[in-house]
Amino acid sequence: MAGDGGEPASGPGRLARLRSLLREGEEGEPSVAVGLLAAAVSAAVLSPVVWLFLRAAEVGLAEAVSLVTAGNTFTVLTNSVALVAVVTGASVALGVPLAVLTVQTDLPFRRFWTVAVALPLVVPSYVGAFAFVSAFGPRGVLSGVLAPLGVSVPTVYGFGGAALVLTSFVYPYVFLTTRASLLSFDTTQLEAARTLDTGYWAAFERVVLPQIAPGVTAGALLVALYTLSDFGTPAIMHFDTFTRTIFVELNTFARSNATLLSLQLLGVTAVILALESRVGPGEADGYGASSSTDTVVELGYWAIPATLLLAAVVIVTLGLPVGILGLWLVRSGPGYAAGGLGFEWQFGLNSAVVAAAAAVVTTLAAVPVAYYSGRTSSWLGSLIERPTYVGYAMPGVVLGLALVFFGTRYVPGLYQTLPLLIFAYVVRFLPQAIGATRSSVLGVDRALVGAARTLGESPRRAFRRVTLPLIAPGLVAGAALVFLTTMKELPATLILQPAGFNTLVTYIWRVQEAGYYGQAALPALVLVVISSVSMLVILRGEDTDL
Amino acid sequence: MAHDHTTDGTVDGAHDETTEETPNMHDTHDAHDDTAEETRDTDGETTDGDQTRPQGLNLLGSPKSGVNRDETSRSRRRFLAAAGSAATVGLAGCAGLGTQESGASGQVAFSDFRGSGRLVRSRPEIDAPRIADLPDLSGELTVYLGGGEGGLYRSLMELFERIYDDFTAVPSAGGTAEQANKLLTEQENTPADVFWSVDAGSLSVVADEGLTTALSSEAVADVPSEFRPDNQWVGTAGRARAVPYNTDQVSADEIPDSVMDFPDSPAVASGFGWAPTYGAFQAFVTAMRLLEGDSATREWLGQMQSTATEYPDEFLTSNAVADGEIAAGFANHYYALRVRDARPDAPLDLAFTRGGAGALINVAGAALLEPSDQTELAETFVRHLLSAEAQEFFATRTFGYPTVEGVPPVGGLPGIGELDPPSLNLSRLSDLEPTLELMRDVGVL
Repeated sequence: MAGDGGEPASGPGRLARLRSLLREGEEGEPSVAVGLLAAAVSAAVLSPVVWLFLRAAEVGLAEAVSLVTAGNTFTVLTNSVALVAVVTGASVALGVPLAVLTVQTDLPFRRFWTVAVALPLVVPSYVGAFAFVSAFGPRGVLSGVLAPLGVSVPTVYGFGGAALVLTSFVYPYVFLTTRASLLSFDTTQLEAARTLDTGYWAAFERVVLPQIAPGVTAGALLVALYTLSDFGTPAIMHFDTFTRTIFVELNTFARSNATLLSLQLLGVTAVILALESRVGPGEADGYGASSSTDTVVELGYWAIPATLLLAAVVIVTLGLPVGILGLWLVRSGPGYAAGGLGFEWQFGLNSAVVAAAAAVVTTLAAVPVAYYSGRTSSWLGSLIERPTYVGYAMPGVVLGLALVFFGTRYVPGLYQTLPLLIFAYVVRFLPQAIGATRSSVLGVDRALVGAARTLGESPRRAFRRVTLPLIAPGLVAGAALVFLTTMKELPATLILQPAGFNTLVTYIWRVQEAGYYGQAALPALVLVVISSVSMLVILRGEDTDL
Repeated sequence: MAHDHTTDGTVDGAHDETTEETPNMHDTHDAHDDTAEETRDTDGETTDGDQTRPQGLNLLGSPKSGVNRDETSRSRRRFLAAAGSAATVGLAGCAGLGTQESGASGQVAFSDFRGSGRLVRSRPEIDAPRIADLPDLSGELTVYLGGGEGGLYRSLMELFERIYDDFTAVPSAGGTAEQANKLLTEQENTPADVFWSVDAGSLSVVADEGLTTALSSEAVADVPSEFRPDNQWVGTAGRARAVPYNTDQVSADEIPDSVMDFPDSPAVASGFGWAPTYGAFQAFVTAMRLLEGDSATREWLGQMQSTATEYPDEFLTSNAVADGEIAAGFANHYYALRVRDARPDAPLDLAFTRGGAGALINVAGAALLEPSDQTELAETFVRHLLSAEAQEFFATRTFGYPTVEGVPPVGGLPGIGELDPPSLNLSRLSDLEPTLELMRDVGVL
């Protein structure tokens, strides 16, 4: 139903109006204007895909067929799919129990563990992968310690290493989304189930799991697509995935081949999105339950193994990379003030400013899409929302080149300026903001909006006065998520940065490229610290106790 | 990271090779400290490059006695004579370029361009045009830097900026292939005036696309013609494929003259190292494919694979040779120099093969971009890269091979004219894909 200007409701019309409103309370269809806005956002972030088709069209059909059917292509496909499956599975297996432990139990130091378990998300995968290689790699720290004892370390390279590293730094997506679901979970239901003499596990399975499934799935989707698009880890771990192969093709200047591979990658993305839709969030309304961290499980002696598990996870995923960075910091020789390699605090400021701008713009763009798809049960909502995940799954380097193409031809004035760079971030990270916002939209009790309308508020004002305050935590969480992923984004940043503009990651890239690892430690630590602050914002937004 | 960039960084499989320090994850020896450290001459004497030295004197002392000096055995000479005689350069009292207050503009001494470190004791006379002889730089120039210039290229540009008050260089850095792809995608809309990349392949691709403008013959006259194909770009510094070997384990005579004879050599049998994921190595295999054919290359890789130890990059390969972990390896020449600079007593020396893929010389180079409307300034800038000062900068700070013939390399290495590289158009090295397929096929990658 189209939104009207909200003419004051007069006596006789009021009853009819109330009737239609009650219907609308059930249907709750957002206005066409919101739909158009959402469609526009969706189309804008899909635009880089057009470039892929343009480039792919340059490849002859015979050549394309031979490339797609080459033996190596099949290996790359199976490698990528296997990596996505394993990393997603492992992240769920790790993220869900950790979320339950930190939300629903009487675990000691819950708040500390909550923060520590979420933090690995701020470690850029290329930094994390390096840390793992220098710890577990050949001639690494660990083998140096173990070699005299005659113990050899299994190789860190290949599938196992790539899966381990990726899981270590992306499982917090599942942890965070599951945690959010658990916080808004109405524990009275669980108590009701428990009074019927069901054990916790049975109750968890029958009552909790169905309620948090959408949250878990949303996190798993982010993990799966991140794994698909991440280049740093497979590159460093010498594991042939789509991203690594695309990079190799680009290195031989075979841009057309690279785009064909990118299109295949997008095909895999489509399959993943379709799978997720099958188990996606239902249209359940929230009950307006306030967030609760009430203890529902008393651990007793189980607190000890639980704490050990958490400690192990935190040591591997957070202690290790930060420790290695610290080692680099200490080990590095005297810093040289040579121009070009000197660290400037300006880089940190640049990173933070660009990331903040990206977070704001992305969140604004996410609102209509999330609101429309969260409020409509029609297929149109999915049609508009789903494609926004495409940019997130696209390798950054491909997205970067696509925007170079469009930027230089159609908006030369914006090329190599911050607005275009920020647009790239919006394309890459919009799904994170949409996901967080959409779950908040789903949690808004529509009767409240209906009540506001009954009292004569226009849809727009009802949205501003009722919906917006209720979905604000979701917006903030989404913005913070975008902020920290933007902080660590490298490939698109490198291609689209304005000349002479340096951020923490481009500086890290520069010194690492030159082999000065010690020089990379400080900016990497600064990156982790700034990102950690935004992570605290995410967690606070959900849980006022933190 | 690094690598690649890749993307997301690029220290990986296919990362760009750099003329700078390689990724040195384990950083056991801080080999880069001396080279990267911008030190002033510790003896306080300002050398301005005009001090005369007998040409060809080994910088680390005279060549070992008893060495046959004729041409054929040159490749077997111990190029890296012991540095023990050289006084160690302390790091105390270093002043970085960035912090060193220079006087008025133009007050930049030759020594400001010269590196320090054990291998840069004293330098012979440099016979090349000086910056003073060149037209002035003035205006703002956008330079696309390809590859990890390690900040050194930026330092050089900053020196130019210090000399010329009204000159500004705006660098934009990325991986070599990344920058080339960016230029290919931008086409005539590129904001860049100069493309300065550490890899000939990326320069050739941009030139083949018709995006470069020929440099005037006058500007590039001092560079051998093989390092400036059609003058569409010009080499600024070179790097030679070499064989670092452990002098405690192998004698120079045991290193074959041709890389194709390595599989049957006892030196290899006693432990050999390589870095197949490293860009420079892949370029070398590409050269072998082009020179010897695919099947010979496949066979060679297969034979070598049975004894070779894999390292992530060639700095670590050279380091492992110095440690005695392996007897010899394949690496660009400057990595051994870097190891020796940090560890003067390491039993490490360099051998050069002759004529084949193992004698390849790759170059970093610069090109004028055709869409630029500042071609004149861009060319003057490139001429500055070929000046005596800049060439000295590349030779002493990155241990690269100067491409201007009047500037000798450090470390007592044979001059660029004395090496025997294969006659191969460097632009053909961008044909990397079949190489990678072949390497994967054999199981080396």
